[in-house]
Amino acid sequence: MAEPRPRPTILVVEDEPEIRRFLRAAFGVEGYRVAESATGRRGSIDAATHKPDLAIVDLGLPDVDGIEVIRRIREWSPMPIIVLSARVHERAKIEALDSGADDYVTKPFAVGELLARVRAALRHAVRAGSGASILRFGPATVDLERRIARRGEAEVRLTPIEFRLLAALAKHLGMVVTHRHLLTQVWGPTHAGDTHYLRIYMKQLREKLEADPVRPRYLVTETGVGYRLLADE
Amino acid sequence: MVRYSPAMDLGRWWVGYAWAAGATLACTLAGVAMRPRFDLVNIAMVYLLAVVVVALRFPRGPAIAAAVLGVLAFDFLFVPPQGTLTVDDVQYLLTFVIMLAVALVISRLVESVRRQAAAQAALQVEAETERIRSALLASISHDLRTPLAVMAGASSSLADSGERLSATERHALAQSVFDQAREMSEHVAKVLQMTRLETGAIRVERDWAALGEIVGSVLARLAERLAEHRVIVELPDDLPLVRVDATLIEQALGNLLENSAKHTPPGTVVRIRAQRREGELVVTVEDYSGGLSDGELERVFAKFHRGTVEGGGTDIGLGLAICRAIVRLHGGRAWAERVPAGGTAFRFTLPLEQAPAVPPEPAPD
Repeated sequence: MAEPRPRPTILVVEDEPEIRRFLRAAFGVEGYRVAESATGRRGSIDAATHKPDLAIVDLGLPDVDGIEVIRRIREWSPMPIIVLSARVHERAKIEALDSGADDYVTKPFAVGELLARVRAALRHAVRAGSGASILRFGPATVDLERRIARRGEAEVRLTPIEFRLLAALAKHLGMVVTHRHLLTQVWGPTHAGDTHYLRIYMKQLREKLEADPVRPRYLVTETGVGYRLLADE
Repeated sequence: MVRYSPAMDLGRWWVGYAWAAGATLACTLAGVAMRPRFDLVNIAMVYLLAVVVVALRFPRGPAIAAAVLGVLAFDFLFVPPQGTLTVDDVQYLLTFVIMLAVALVISRLVESVRRQAAAQAALQVEAETERIRSALLASISHDLRTPLAVMAGASSSLADSGERLSATERHALAQSVFDQAREMSEHVAKVLQMTRLETGAIRVERDWAALGEIVGSVLARLAERLAEHRVIVELPDDLPLVRVDATLIEQALGNLLENSAKHTPPGTVVRIRAQRREGELVVTVEDYSGGLSDGELERVFAKFHRGTVEGGGTDIGLGLAICRAIVRLHGGRAWAERVPAGGTAFRFTLPLEQAPAVPPEPAPD
């Protein structure tokens, strides 16, 4: 038996009642409490009154732009926000992430995928931005604090930039991080558009840490958006 | 096939007249050179040639201008008495009339051929539109109705008699609703994507991308679909970066892989390769079963080309057409070739640009 803990509350801001219905069912079964808002305006208000642990915001709301809802929540709360986006809106995803959303799921999605994102985001909130300091990738481990990387018994030499890049990704472990954010964090704001830096360094990191660099399990590409760092618990 | 002069399309009417003047001048120079050794009749023929050329390329106005200028120049410079417009021998009047008549007749012929060609082209466009429309309808009725029927049937069983079904049966029915829904969603996405590509509603957002990463993310996305094939990736280690819309190229490559997986038996190999060639990157998806006829090699990339699916049935070809449209947007080409041992190689190219340098970092000690 898992020890009793407070049930996290999830706010769902989504105009389609049928989508709210299955989300309510799926989250209920997993032991979450669910609050629902059918409009963006309601969503901003409900976020303030219910103080949920996490918000799920549909980008295609009829009244206000989902991105506006994210901005309003971000004005006062660091709660994790996951965006539901239609496939056509590649740009909207990036804009939502740059406006403060933590992750996205593309419609139509399998509930399992959304639940996994929600769990990752809640864990991240618990760590409160300190980030994980020891990462496990199968046979490889990286200690970000002491700056030591190993693969099996052998030490793997990472450059200072490779460590910084891993640390920037680890701060959002399990969640997507945009190119712009990574470039700004690692190389500085003047290099926010230099995506080719990332391509080169991610390749190096994969070659050093992944079993099969072409099919990465831990340093995952989110095409057109950014990267996601996964690690074994 | 009639060649339209680009000048006409741009509506620069004076270009034709400039041609008329230029052609007359050229004939005059030729005539002066010919004069010592040739009869006047032959020089008249040279002018006639100029009239024919201008009449073929331009509308009636310039053609008449060429005829009139030719007559004037010929008369003034060559017909005795030279240096005047008077004509001693009446037979030259006939020459003038013939030149004018030739100009008019040819302009008229060309005009009517042009009109017929335009009508023909319009008909062809109409036929193609009609073909696509009916293929689209067929696609909607076949490729969407079947999954809808499955979804309606499976979900109504669950709703009506879910409690009397075993857990395994309930799960199987629910799973099939999910699978069919996802299939349908992919299908609708392809139809929408093709429409957007056709209407130019797609903005290509180019940025530096690594083909290796694109391959990795497409293999992750299609893991289930490719599960029954052996996918081999052969990428050279020093592959240069490409400046592309990675999302679109991921789709293009994904469509090729889906196509190969769908049309070859389980257990066979699908190979992804990339090669650097003069100024471009050649990306290949190869499969090793069946193979296409010459005609099919040409047609597979066409919209709504129906292919037979391994294990029976057909599917509408949108995937490869989307692939080609995306590759063309990037300035590349897409085509299919036979693999000597049997099978098909689907290739596309991406133009290479010099990637900016990444500042070097000292190697870790």
